Amino acid sequence: MRNENSPDGGLIGEVEQFLYREARLLDDRQFHEWLQLFTDDARYFMAGRSNRYPQSSKAIAILDPGRYVESDVTGEDELALFDEDKTTLAARVARLDTGMAWAEDPPSRTRHLIANIEVEPSESEVEINVYSNFLVYRSRAETEEDFYVGARRDVLRRVDGDWKIARRRMVLDQAVLTAKNLSIFF
Amino acid sequence: MNGDMHELVDAEHGLISRRIFIEPEIYQEELRNIFARCWLFLCHDSQIPLPGDFFTTYMGEDPVLVVRDNGGRVHALLNICRHRGNRLCRADSGNAASFTCAYHGWTYRNDGRLTGVPYLKEAYHNAFDRDRWGLVPVAQLDQYKGLWFATFDPKAPPLCDYLGEMAWYLDAFFDRREGGIEFIGGMHKWVMPCNWKFPAENFGGDGYHTSWSHRSAIDTGSGGNFRLAPDPLGVMLSPGKGHCVIGVGPDMLADPPASEILAYEDAIRPEMEARLGPRLNRIKPIVGTVFPNFSLLRPTSRTFRVWHPRGPDKTEVWAWVYADKQAPPEVKEAIRLAGVRVFGPSGSFEQDDMDNWQGCTQTGRGVVARSYPLNYQMGLGHDRFDPALGAWASEYRYSENNHRHFYRRWAELITGAPWAELANGGTREDRHA
Repeated sequence: MRNENSPDGGLIGEVEQFLYREARLLDDRQFHEWLQLFTDDARYFMAGRSNRYPQSSKAIAILDPGRYVESDVTGEDELALFDEDKTTLAARVARLDTGMAWAEDPPSRTRHLIANIEVEPSESEVEINVYSNFLVYRSRAETEEDFYVGARRDVLRRVDGDWKIARRRMVLDQAVLTAKNLSIFF
Repeated sequence: MNGDMHELVDAEHGLISRRIFIEPEIYQEELRNIFARCWLFLCHDSQIPLPGDFFTTYMGEDPVLVVRDNGGRVHALLNICRHRGNRLCRADSGNAASFTCAYHGWTYRNDGRLTGVPYLKEAYHNAFDRDRWGLVPVAQLDQYKGLWFATFDPKAPPLCDYLGEMAWYLDAFFDRREGGIEFIGGMHKWVMPCNWKFPAENFGGDGYHTSWSHRSAIDTGSGGNFRLAPDPLGVMLSPGKGHCVIGVGPDMLADPPASEILAYEDAIRPEMEARLGPRLNRIKPIVGTVFPNFSLLRPTSRTFRVWHPRGPDKTEVWAWVYADKQAPPEVKEAIRLAGVRVFGPSGSFEQDDMDNWQGCTQTGRGVVARSYPLNYQMGLGHDRFDPALGAWASEYRYSENNHRHFYRRWAELITGAPWAELANGGTREDRHA
């Protein structure tokens, strides 16, 4: 199945290890170290979903097909769940250090499971596209439990020999978020 | 309704029973006597601009379809097929000439009329009157400056009377410039494990919590420092009928602290003052709640939201971000980013609120806990009616007088008393009149 454009197993293994290490840093609440995995020009974006009938649906007769929007994913110019740059990500981490970030005090217990990793070459020699899915379990206080499930598309960039996250675009697969907040990172 | 409802809310002494935040029986009375009677916010006109455009929402726990028909007229209808009661439209929004139920295929036009019943001739033997089985409309539907509201109560006063003096305060958020507001695309919808009244009262008058609950966000730069600065002109305002507004002094910073937004606010101030009048020289309205569950916010994020009740201990938030229609693109973009980063489920301000409201709700499950009332006494006896502001105003910027007005209105409505018997706004002034 392998063709000449496919990344080699060495690169895939390297990317997997990078993502697993990142997940461990998050679960261990080593947020300052986690922040170092991003480039200075990073964008960190999480879209939500909504319920839309596809054009083919017989549940409605569309009156104005020319204007009809089929996509059920939040656009990048819309009200996303996260839309951060390195500075605002750092401010979120700094907030956790104030001793007054009540939604994380006591902290959530998280477990980030990263799967379905695909590596794709990009047009840039120093960047690659990486697709993955996440399942994040959050336990908090006594019996609170949340599952956050979605997909990521990262652009990883080689900087001084290390991989950094230059862009992370995520989609969370809930139209109505059943968790009370998104006080953790993904 | 049992006669002791008034005892649950002792606004004169600032005591509110915890039962109203947790007991299922009282919640059912709220659905019946508050959510099925009051004018409730549906959506903004810019969400359904053209024929066929629809938006699905809720009034209380009743699903509602808001749709603009082929002729351009807006309808608000129960989103329920009349046959077996299935939910009719399953999408959040879209565009449709007609809607067909997934169960047996009954079809309704976008004005609510039932037009299609499979096997009408054979199975109903042509004896079925489709005209009598259209979608159930709300009792009254109206808009104020592009904000669509509806009520299930045919006897409810007209929307403009229901809003009363609150209309001016809505203008201060939504009608600051010609053309009013528009939405940033997309919405935040999420579930909070708390009673709906905790967020409603918080937006209505809880300036007190900000400098503690949100100190971490303020100290790390996402909220500006306006609330920590002394503000002798800050005030809690009750314009009547249970509506509540928080105001700050006219020169206080009350906007997301992005340079584009601050420069824009300076630039439009003369236009705004000319449009809204001299009251703006006294106060700057920054947060508020339209009774019962529609709240709006100006600083930190330009958001408004509906607190949909989902049982006594659950609330579904539907939040939008808005900007002046005439604002330049870079200002709209800065407002969008503030809406994502500061409010909403991941917001550096808002995420801390949910935890507190959850705790306030869930500890009420204990029978002993429930026997101790909550304290709403801050500023008791230290508010007066201010004719220039058209509202009851607190002496100090922190006060719970808005909470007391909110719950006084709640207590009047929950008994099912006719509209004509309600005090006009439940204010002491009205009672003494």
